Amino acid sequence: MSAQIPIASFKPYRGEKARLARAYDYLILVLALFLFIGSFHLHFALTVGDWDFWVDWKDRQWWPLVTPLMGITFPAAVQAVLWDKFRLPLGATLCVAALLIGTWITRIFAYHYWNFFPINMVLPATMLPGAMVLDAMLMLSNSLTITAIFGGAAFALLFYPSNWPIFAMFHQPVEYANSQLTVADLFGFQYIRTGMPEYLRIIERGTLRTYGQYAAPLAAFCSALLCSLMYVLWWYIGKWFATVRYLAKI
Amino acid sequence: MKTLIKPWLIAMLWIGALFALEMPAASAHGEKALEPFIRMRTIQWYDVEWSTQKFNVNEEVSVSGKFHVAEDWPVSVPKPEATFLNISTPGPVLIRTERYLNGKPWTNSVALQPGGDYEFKVVLKGRLPGRYHIHPFFNLKDAGQVMGPGAWLEIGGEAADFNNTVKTIHGEIIDMERFGFGNGVFWHLFWGVLATAWLLWWVRRPLFISRYRMLEAGLEHELITTNDKLIAKAVLVGVPVLVLAFNAMEINRYPDAIPLQAGLDQILPLPALVNAGTVNVDALKAEYNVAQRAMVLQIKIDNRSQSAVRIGEFSTANVHFIDPELPAARHKPDGDAITTAGLNIDDKQSVQPGEQRVLTFVAHDATWESEKLDGLIRDADSRIGGLLFLYDDLLGKRYISSISAAVIPKFS
Repeated sequence: MSAQIPIASFKPYRGEKARLARAYDYLILVLALFLFIGSFHLHFALTVGDWDFWVDWKDRQWWPLVTPLMGITFPAAVQAVLWDKFRLPLGATLCVAALLIGTWITRIFAYHYWNFFPINMVLPATMLPGAMVLDAMLMLSNSLTITAIFGGAAFALLFYPSNWPIFAMFHQPVEYANSQLTVADLFGFQYIRTGMPEYLRIIERGTLRTYGQYAAPLAAFCSALLCSLMYVLWWYIGKWFATVRYLAKI
Repeated sequence: MKTLIKPWLIAMLWIGALFALEMPAASAHGEKALEPFIRMRTIQWYDVEWSTQKFNVNEEVSVSGKFHVAEDWPVSVPKPEATFLNISTPGPVLIRTERYLNGKPWTNSVALQPGGDYEFKVVLKGRLPGRYHIHPFFNLKDAGQVMGPGAWLEIGGEAADFNNTVKTIHGEIIDMERFGFGNGVFWHLFWGVLATAWLLWWVRRPLFISRYRMLEAGLEHELITTNDKLIAKAVLVGVPVLVLAFNAMEINRYPDAIPLQAGLDQILPLPALVNAGTVNVDALKAEYNVAQRAMVLQIKIDNRSQSAVRIGEFSTANVHFIDPELPAARHKPDGDAITTAGLNIDDKQSVQPGEQRVLTFVAHDATWESEKLDGLIRDADSRIGGLLFLYDDLLGKRYISSISAAVIPKFS
């Protein structure tokens, strides 16, 4: 049961009540920011992991498949809360921005200063364009189905092209040790990772093959389909968390 | 009050002890944690040498040596179909500039053949000053790391002096330490500014309690304004257009970009160096005497060479047991590999050309325990493996055999 407020008796908060409500907004926003920085970053590191950590893991098949699929989870859940209860279409953008804040802090302090990796070797990917489209789609459609199908698909399809301006230059070929490598591959060879031999990279593996040597679009469309399903799943997880059962009066 | 003094005193003493006691930094790599049968019967390293152990930032050091891939590869360890010759370092304090297997440069992973002989060389360049314990080692897919002999390397100079430039296939010289960083930051900031603007557009107005009350009162239409919808439409159309436009620009900028390379290198073994067929050795029986910390191996030698030969060394898991009476076997240490004079042979007479003889030798030393190799007798696979080095009496020529046998523990 939620707190039903009849239109006739609705009065907007004014004075001290309005000031307190606004202070509460900021309190929740700051807490939410830290919560999502920590939790989404942890979730992302455990699921996407090396694909996002290293420049020589960002391949054209698994990276655009796995990253949006795992990246749409928290945005969907938080959208379910913020849209369903507050009509705030910023859940996805807020989550991804928090993720990037956490990611950048980790890359600079843990990977660069603590473990000596060049910072350009551990540049994170961005999902912000997809997140903004997801928020806009939810707001304009006000529909879970449309947002899941079109927003979820857009989130996946926009991932690779929005990151190509960051990572294309790392795919320039280099002649090295009598073979052709990308600059990214060379980072993996030169900058020693004791715990990560080359064969551990899950790139260009499995039955997700190319069509006329095009691989990224296939992976992106596959991811789009899966993202639509994942979106719905996490929307309901978010909704389950956002109970107002115990809210009697507000 | 009296009751509080005691726990506080204990806590202070404990903290004081932590500061007072010296706690040395860990310098091992967990190599002793790996089961002995894997260390003994997979990659059998020998003749490993470092070109220098003291050098400066930007200067190069190389580690070279040989290894034999044991024929008696443990059944519980996946076959070496994908392996990677790596260097254990505390982060990239050195960079790997070159790597050779059997004289061929290689960058990816490689399949090894059991029974094969290989020689390797890895060239490293100093990046961060300090004193580091470094090993060459093999990553074996689905099996773990088999360490080669390590060494302490001392890198001098200044970290700021390090440089690492590479030429692309189009001739552009790039600085690997900084390449692409400014560009990456730019794009993150670009999308970050747009996202922040979107967030601020909503955050600037009353949020949670106010909006929840209005929504519950049925005033949903007042929560989303015409301007909100206009901006959302702009985002819905503008963001994908921008993404695709920037993507197209970048495709045109780097038309020759290629996917990450994922090939497995195929490098054939050298002509046999170990078990080459000239002097054949077969292990008949192995016993480990727990009390004496001694491995007793009975072997049969078949000398098909033109000269008499003698056993000079037994080597397993980077521990070298040397016969000190044989000058040819005097060992040049492989970095910090353990060399001990604990090799005794029951019959020191050379095995003559054409002769077959059964011999017993004892490799005894506390290293069986300190290197945690004696755990073999309590393992699921208790077979020992190692390299036996025999020397020609006349010219000092060396013959190497890879031997293995099941180990029987003796407790008295």
